[in-house]
Amino acid sequence: MIETWVFRLLVLASLALFTAQMATRVRLFARAKSNIRLTGPALRLQRVLLEVVCQSKVIAEKPLVGVGHALVFWGFVAFAGFTLVQFLKGLGIADLTGQRWFHLYRLAVLPFALAVLVGMSGLLVRRALVRPEALGRPVSRESLLIGAFIITLMVTFLLDFRLGDSTWSRVNWWVHALVILVFLDLIPDSKHLHLLLSPLTILLESPGLGTVRNLDFEKEEVGLEAVKDIERKQVLDAFTCVECGRCQMNCPAYATGKLLNPKKLILQNEAGLLAGRLDVKLSDLYDAGVLWQCTTCGACESQCPVGIEHLPLIIGARRGLVSNGEAPAYLATVYNNLERRGNIWGLTYDQREKFVASAGLEEFDSSRHEYLVWLGCAGAFEADYQKALRALFEILRRVKVTFGVLARERCTGDIAKRSGNEYLFQELARENIEGLTKAGARKIVTSCPHCLRTLGVDYREFGFDREVLHSSVLVDQLTSSIRGGRAGDVTFHDPCYLGRYAGFTGPPRELLGRFGGNVREPVRTRSNPFCCGAGGGLLFEEHEEGKRISQERLEQLQATGALCVVTACPFCSIMLKGAQASANASTEIVDLMTFVHDQLKTA
Amino acid sequence: MVLVIAEQRAGALNRVSWETVAAAQQLAGAAGGMPVTIAVAGGSIRDLAAELASASVASVVAIEHPLLASYTPDGFVQALQELVSRTTPSYVAIPHTYQTRDFAPALASRLARPLITDVIGLASFEGRPAFVRPLFQGRLVADVVPDAAPPCFVTFQVGAFRADDVVRGAAPAPVSTMEVALDASTIRQKPEPPFREAKQAVDLSQAERIVAVGRGIKAPEHLPLVRALADALGAELGASRPICDSGWLPMERQIGSSGQTVAPKLYVAVGLSGAIQHLVGMKASRAIVAINKDPDAPIFEVADYGIVGDLFEVVPALIAELGR
Repeated sequence: MIETWVFRLLVLASLALFTAQMATRVRLFARAKSNIRLTGPALRLQRVLLEVVCQSKVIAEKPLVGVGHALVFWGFVAFAGFTLVQFLKGLGIADLTGQRWFHLYRLAVLPFALAVLVGMSGLLVRRALVRPEALGRPVSRESLLIGAFIITLMVTFLLDFRLGDSTWSRVNWWVHALVILVFLDLIPDSKHLHLLLSPLTILLESPGLGTVRNLDFEKEEVGLEAVKDIERKQVLDAFTCVECGRCQMNCPAYATGKLLNPKKLILQNEAGLLAGRLDVKLSDLYDAGVLWQCTTCGACESQCPVGIEHLPLIIGARRGLVSNGEAPAYLATVYNNLERRGNIWGLTYDQREKFVASAGLEEFDSSRHEYLVWLGCAGAFEADYQKALRALFEILRRVKVTFGVLARERCTGDIAKRSGNEYLFQELARENIEGLTKAGARKIVTSCPHCLRTLGVDYREFGFDREVLHSSVLVDQLTSSIRGGRAGDVTFHDPCYLGRYAGFTGPPRELLGRFGGNVREPVRTRSNPFCCGAGGGLLFEEHEEGKRISQERLEQLQATGALCVVTACPFCSIMLKGAQASANASTEIVDLMTFVHDQLKTA
Repeated sequence: MVLVIAEQRAGALNRVSWETVAAAQQLAGAAGGMPVTIAVAGGSIRDLAAELASASVASVVAIEHPLLASYTPDGFVQALQELVSRTTPSYVAIPHTYQTRDFAPALASRLARPLITDVIGLASFEGRPAFVRPLFQGRLVADVVPDAAPPCFVTFQVGAFRADDVVRGAAPAPVSTMEVALDASTIRQKPEPPFREAKQAVDLSQAERIVAVGRGIKAPEHLPLVRALADALGAELGASRPICDSGWLPMERQIGSSGQTVAPKLYVAVGLSGAIQHLVGMKASRAIVAINKDPDAPIFEVADYGIVGDLFEVVPALIAELGR
């Protein structure tokens, strides 16, 4: 009887401590500005099913560690009923342990206990002995303690089969129960809060990668300036982070020796929120300059197994800086160019007109043309990319597809959006949407993955819903019956905004294969490519800390042994060519459209 | 009378002041032979006034006051307002510098007189001097004639007139000092000691001529060839990113979107393909000469003069010709 009362008191104390800790977090969540939108419920539920229940992401990205984690996770789920029954008994509420179904259940979870032991031991060895960089240094003692707890829980469960009804059995029961009560109180302030929060975080994660909602200027929104501006989903993110370091290890900035570490940003948010430093500016909370080291490649967000969204945070914080005039000087020049000339380089449009005339392009007329080809800034001014566009035009003409271009375009605003100049982005977007709508374009094709993103995804926020295609997808469809060429070994650099954001990893490879290319895959490929370093406005960065991202990527591509690097983005092309010139290398860097056209000529 | 307001900092003359003196002399001639007076304001500037007196002008006025030792818009506007009221010039000529941009509008509006900024040349309209200034980012130029009682304030774009064209006097012009009464309490700005952000030691943006070298140079051993061309032209040496990345030239010589933005009168691009990131840093140059083997190199799109050929043949030939 005394034992029951002691247990009741302990459970009560443990619950009280847990509740107090959680209350702080719930309050921080509740006071934050809501940014939660539950669009696409089917997709969200599907994600919870796959990523939480089936642990798909955890396993896919790191199979061995992932399976280890999955065993522990499934074991936890399987044990829920067992623990509940034991606690009901201990509290003197109901004793179901004598029930026949409970005996069967107890036997059924036996293999789970063994699985948890195997999984947990593996994870502990990894953390304590292998010590991967991703898990941070020094080794987290708390995580070791909790690992030991989990093993204790399993061992005590298994011992119970051998001890029968002895005093040792009571001791064993108490050890098991006490570990659970202490564990409960360790959860809120540790990475183990992900046990409770990650299903919710994954449910609330935006359906699309890098979803950064538009600011509402009517409501005088300026972006995230201080800790108090961190929005609800971001508060949830901060408390959910499991500190696995996948974002860190996939970040091109981190990989090339820069200060930026996406994991650290999330943890600094958590620390800032809990310490109540609500008025501290985000740029002061983080390490100096890190917000401008992000290429917005999206690797962190796409790799996160618990649904954390880094991009809205980084871009949101950039907005806060831009609105206070604290953007780096090189961006001021780009913004000026965009405002005055409507393109990122600040060139005059007679160059675009010259190109349009020399390429024999017609102004788009919806009664005669099926496609509107969007040239973009690079199409208007960058000589190499213009060559790629000429190739695209030749291919389209060859398969007898009609197309035209707009007489006047402005930059789609990708750099403005991603670097945090939301006002400029919206201004550019409105003008372009007006031009495209007036022209009556129904199908738009672009060879620039950044234009693809803005026109095809970002502009939907303004109600623009025309079909937008990347040239690789369209040309793949149009030339599906043609094959030929003898290109030999090539490697393909997936542009982040094509492979990772838009998910088009198949069509470029389909084209390369059909036209005689033998694709040798580099490390970091397809939907998780290593960025070229240009995104998020960094194309214009004056001085890059550490190693150049473009240099690192070029080396990865060269390591495939292929002498020809094919890519499908004007910015990737500029960066890789720059890296190549600096390295005095002779690798050929060619746009996919130029490649296809060259091979078509010989086919 | 044409009054020139020269610019100085810590007792050192800003050399663009000479360009303004040249402009003022030409203006004075065009306006029927008006006298020119140069004024300079500061803390301790007597040596400077003597230096300015070498120009062929009627007089030099030095305005010395401890409160003018460091530039403040309030202090300068007050002192210069008094100067203009006392000397009653027809035109006030000022170099179009950052400092001028700061005080000139206030000065002109205090006196309710016109201010014509960023003037690049002189013209005449119905027998009166007119001022040529760019409009719409330099796409148009306008001849502007002030239509108000004198004086008219005119600021001259840096580089529009040549300092060499200043007519020097046979004997130094008389230098006088002018006392102004300044009250510290009326100066709202409190100047901090001046500082310069860590900037490139080489300021290519000020160069009149630049010879820029690209990857076509192949190896650092060949750089002296390009340097010789630069010397022959009296030009600064610039480079594309790969050259600086490879450490063949220091970063401060890099031109382009990740280096300096330049607009010299003459830009000679040697073995430089003209990647867009480079082009944006030099496209505003007055005259662009490109030397490149590849006739399809994008640099020829922006070049005024293109030489398709091997730089190792073309450059020595150019140096030889310039040496004659």
